[in-house]
Amino acid sequence: MFLQTLVTGLSIGGVYALMAVGYSLVFSILNFSNFAHGTIIMLGAYVGYFIISNLKLGFTFSLVGAIIGAAILAVLNVKLAYTPLINRRASSLYLMITAMGVSIFLENMVYVTVGSHFYSFPEIFKQTSIKFFNSDISPLDLWALVFSFISIYGLHLFLTKTKLGTAIRAASYDMTIASLNGVNMSRLISVVFILAGSFAGLAGIFLGIKYMVYPTMGWITNKAYIAAVIGGLGSLPGAVIGGILLGVIETFVSVYISSTIRDVFSFSMVIIFLVFLPAGLMGRHLEEKV
Amino acid sequence: MLKVQNINVYYGRIHALKDLSIDIDQGKIVTIVGANGAGKSTLMWTLAGVLKAKSGTMTFMGKPYPPNAHEAAAKGIVLVPERRRLYANLTVKENLMMGAFLRKDHEGIKKDLYYVYSLFPILKERTNQYAGTLSGGEQQMTAIARGLMSRPKILLLDEPSLGLSPIYTAEVFKTIQEINAQGTTILLAEQNAKKALEIAHSAYVLETGRMVLSGTGKELLSDPRVQEAYLGVRHKTI
Repeated sequence: MFLQTLVTGLSIGGVYALMAVGYSLVFSILNFSNFAHGTIIMLGAYVGYFIISNLKLGFTFSLVGAIIGAAILAVLNVKLAYTPLINRRASSLYLMITAMGVSIFLENMVYVTVGSHFYSFPEIFKQTSIKFFNSDISPLDLWALVFSFISIYGLHLFLTKTKLGTAIRAASYDMTIASLNGVNMSRLISVVFILAGSFAGLAGIFLGIKYMVYPTMGWITNKAYIAAVIGGLGSLPGAVIGGILLGVIETFVSVYISSTIRDVFSFSMVIIFLVFLPAGLMGRHLEEKV
Repeated sequence: MLKVQNINVYYGRIHALKDLSIDIDQGKIVTIVGANGAGKSTLMWTLAGVLKAKSGTMTFMGKPYPPNAHEAAAKGIVLVPERRRLYANLTVKENLMMGAFLRKDHEGIKKDLYYVYSLFPILKERTNQYAGTLSGGEQQMTAIARGLMSRPKILLLDEPSLGLSPIYTAEVFKTIQEINAQGTTILLAEQNAKKALEIAHSAYVLETGRMVLSGTGKELLSDPRVQEAYLGVRHKTI
């Protein structure tokens, strides 16, 4: 029972971490909470769903399609909605409000065009669980866990070992100086959104498979936001640790205490963090967070 | 090499540079002296492409001036800003490599890394340390080294001696001359007017956004107005 709960918690935590990483990447560069991120996750899930159930192309295509689709949408999002504001040197508060607007707009576009149906993915991972030390572990949880960890580790390698990744970290500290070093900031911002979008697509697929695909599924990113705050907004290791921590704690609370109190617990946790440790576990700066 | 004619630059609402003209010849050390708030940094940020001139003309190597910071960097105009502005979250080596961001000649980058390590041996010891943990002097060296890693055609140095001990200051000025001897043109903005004028081939005096004097370094060193205002020499009132 304990092991089973732990694996489930880790896998949910892994998906939270995927989402939180997208938040943190954008926050680290542009210093605002991109509330449209959840909507991109939702749209990624739709892309993946339609590829697998309407085009019948199989899981690999669905996964790749969702990642590419979400990445393209994320770039469109930044080019159409954020870039005009960034060029006018708008403060990050305006960017955040715009992100909320984008999120509401896209969600309602889905209602108008696709409708408010709930779609469930066809069976991809076998429902039969794997027996392991007297615990039943679902293959989906295992795969979600593996995919999250591999992709986050890949991102870590990209950010620490490549020139472009180093430029992203540099620009997250000082954008003006990065442009003095020859970094084309608008291009770098696009790269950041491609990364965040890809992670959104990946998270969208796993959320869609585990739960369902519907217009408001993006609101689950509230949890990813909590994870990012716990870990420290803008910090990538923080986002990962926050996500895993939240996933595991939530699962243990719902198994050992009560599943109705789960969300109360998560939101109380974020309040406690904001009061006592506002920078999160690994946060860097405290000035002006929106 | 770099020509600026009658530019006007506004910093918010403040008219920071007024009808300012300078002319920098290739291979020279040119110094801008002036008090706090005279507009030295504004001029530097404008030349680096971060601030925009409202009017006036600017050319670089006879061609129209690059329109923004990253294109200026690509053309070889490199600013080492006031107060270093290192990436504190990156290591010394990563900071230096950010200087070489636009370069693709791996051999050349390696060579230049050796060169800056030979200029500043202490940086080699600190290579994997986060830049935020360095002392002020070491940070200044890293900032200059990062600028050199861009292989600049012209190096804009804004207050390189700010906050440094006299020993470090002497070392920095010695290095500036060394870099210049290698063929890099240098524009130096300094409050330490005496030291700056001593090494300058030509110099300008900036006062509240206007160029009030220009000449060779020696001429300005012996100019009574400069001596009184910037070098602490008292002349008898006439």
